[in-house]
Amino acid sequence: MKKKNNILKIENLSVTYGPIKALRKANLEVNEGEVVALIGANGAGKTSLLKAILNIEKPNGKILFLGKDIISKSTDNIVASGICLIPEGHVIFSSMTVFENLQLGAYHNSYDFDKNLEKVFAYFPILQERSSQIAGTLSGGEQQMLSIGRGLMSNPKLIMIDEPSLGLAPKIVADIFEILSELNEEGYTILLAEQNAKKALECAHRGYVLETGRFILQGTSRELMNNQKARRVYLGGSV
Amino acid sequence: MEVFLAQLINGLALGSIYVLLVTGFNLMILVARIIQFAYPQFVVLSMYACWEVLRLTNNVFLAVFACISTSIVLNILSEPIFRRITNMKGIDINASFVASLGIAIVITDIMSHSLNYGFPIAFPTSWVEGSLARFGLIMISKGQLYALAGSIIAVLLFFYLLYRTKQGRLFRAIAENRFAARLIGIPIVKTSIFSYFIAGLLGGFIAILLSLLLGSASPWLGEFVALKILAVSIVAGLGNLRGGLVCGLCLGVTEAMAMGYLSGSWSNVVSFVIMLIIILIKPQGLFGTSIS
Ligand SMILES: Nc1ncnc2c1ncn2[C@@H]1O[C@H](COP(=O)(O)OP(=O)(O)OP(=O)(O)O)[C@@H](O)[C@H]1O
Ligand SMILES: [Mg+2]
Repeated sequence: MKKKNNILKIENLSVTYGPIKALRKANLEVNEGEVVALIGANGAGKTSLLKAILNIEKPNGKILFLGKDIISKSTDNIVASGICLIPEGHVIFSSMTVFENLQLGAYHNSYDFDKNLEKVFAYFPILQERSSQIAGTLSGGEQQMLSIGRGLMSNPKLIMIDEPSLGLAPKIVADIFEILSELNEEGYTILLAEQNAKKALECAHRGYVLETGRFILQGTSRELMNNQKARRVYLGGSV
Repeated sequence: MEVFLAQLINGLALGSIYVLLVTGFNLMILVARIIQFAYPQFVVLSMYACWEVLRLTNNVFLAVFACISTSIVLNILSEPIFRRITNMKGIDINASFVASLGIAIVITDIMSHSLNYGFPIAFPTSWVEGSLARFGLIMISKGQLYALAGSIIAVLLFFYLLYRTKQGRLFRAIAENRFAARLIGIPIVKTSIFSYFIAGLLGGFIAILLSLLLGSASPWLGEFVALKILAVSIVAGLGNLRGGLVCGLCLGVTEAMAMGYLSGSWSNVVSFVIMLIIILIKPQGLFGTSIS
C-alpha cells in the first residue's frame, strides 16, 4: 500500500471548560482519501475535539492541517483553508430557503458555485426539488441532507461530520452513511464522530475510541470490530 | 376631518422617522448583539454637525456630507467598545444597554455644555421652510414630504440590502444563528463592523430628514427619542424588523392624533400608556422576538 498524504495531524490536544477536561492530550491522524471514525459514548469529547479543530473552542496543543499549524487561526480562516464541520443536530438557517442555506455554505467558495451546486443536487435531488422551501419546514432527514449539502458547497478538503445518525430513522441513517461512502469514493476525506460504532466502523477505514476525553484504542475498522474491549464497551457485543 | 387629515400626514411623517430609527436600532440588536440606546443620540449629534457646517459654509452638499460622515464615524468608533463588552464571558446583551446609556448621557452633557452654548440649534429657513401644497387647513410642508419620501426610499433600500444581496444574507445568517454562521466560516467581527457602518449611514440619513422635518434640535432630543425607540422596539418585539415598521408608524400617528385632539402635551402619556397596555398583554411584543 502506498503511503498516503497526511491531511490532518493532531498532537497533544486538550480542551477544557473551566474545571472540566473534555479532551486530554489527544493524538490523531487523518490521511488523504480516508474515512476515520471517532467513537465514544455521550460526553466522551467527540464534539469538543471537532470544535477545537475549527477553533470554536480554544484548544491547547498542535493541529496541523496540510502541514500548517492552524491552532491560533480564526474559525473563518480555517474554514477558508478547506475544513468543514457538519455539526450534530440539524444546525441550519431555518427561516431561510434551502437555496439560501446552500449559498451561505459557499461563502468561501463562490467562484465554482454552479459546479458545486450541481454536485450537491446530484447527491441530494430532494434539495433541488425543495430549493425554494423554507429550511425549517424540511423533515429531520432532509435537514441533515441540507446540512451536509451546505458543507459540500465549500468544496472542502476535509469533511468533519458529527453524529449524522442522531435522531433519524434507520432507513435515513443507512442512506446517509451510503452517501458518506460515495463521497469518500469520489475522493473526499472524512472524519466521522459517532456513538453508533457499528455503523461508523462499517463506513470507516480506521477508527479511534474515545473515553472521557482520552483515546483508549485505535486501529483499523476490522481490528476495532474484533477487539474484545471495544466490542464489550461500545458495540454491545452485537457485531 | 381636516384636523384628522392634517394630523394623519403629520403622524406618518414623524412615524416614518421612528421607523428608520427602530430599523437601525434593530439591526444593531440582530447583528452586533447590542442594545444601542445611544443610536438616536448619534443621529442628533450628526444634526449638530450638519447645522455647524451649514452655518460656516452655507453649502448644502458639504453639510449633508458632514452629517452622514459624522454618523458613520460615531457608529464605527463605538464598535470596539461594544465588542469588548460582548466578548466578555457570561455577559448578556443588557451589559451593552448600560454601556450605551453611559455613552448617551455623555453625549447629552457635551451638547448641553459646549455645543452652541447649550442652546437648541435652529436650521436656517432656506433649509426647512416652504409648504408645497395647501388644501384649506391641510398643509403639506417640504419637511414632511422629504421625511415621508426619504423614509420610503431608505426602507426599500435597506430591505433590498437585507434580502437581495450577499451581505444582507450574511447579516440574516448571523442574526438567526450565530453559531452556525461562525461554523460555516462567516467572519463575524468583520460582518458586524459592516453592520455598524450601515447603521451609521442610515443614521446620517435620518439626521438629514429629521432636521428637515423639525427644523431644530436640542441636546435632549436624542434621549427623548431613544426612550421612544426602545419602547417601540420592545412593543414590536426586540429585533423584529417588520414589527418595527408597523409600530414605528403607529407611534407617529398616535402622537399626532393626540396632539390634534387633546389639549396640551398629552401625546407622550397617550402613546406610553398604550404601549404599557400592549406590553402587559403581550410581554414578547406584538410581533414576537427572537432575542432571549
Ligand atoms: N460549553 C461547555 N461547557 C462546559 N462543559 C462542556 C461544554 N461543552 C461540553 N462540555 C463537557 O465536555 C464533555 C465532552 O462533551 P462533548 O460534547 O465533546 O461530548 P460528545 O462526545 O460529543 O458527546 P455526545 O455524544 O453526547 O454528543 C462533557 O462532559 C460535557 O459536559
Ligand atoms: Mg457530541
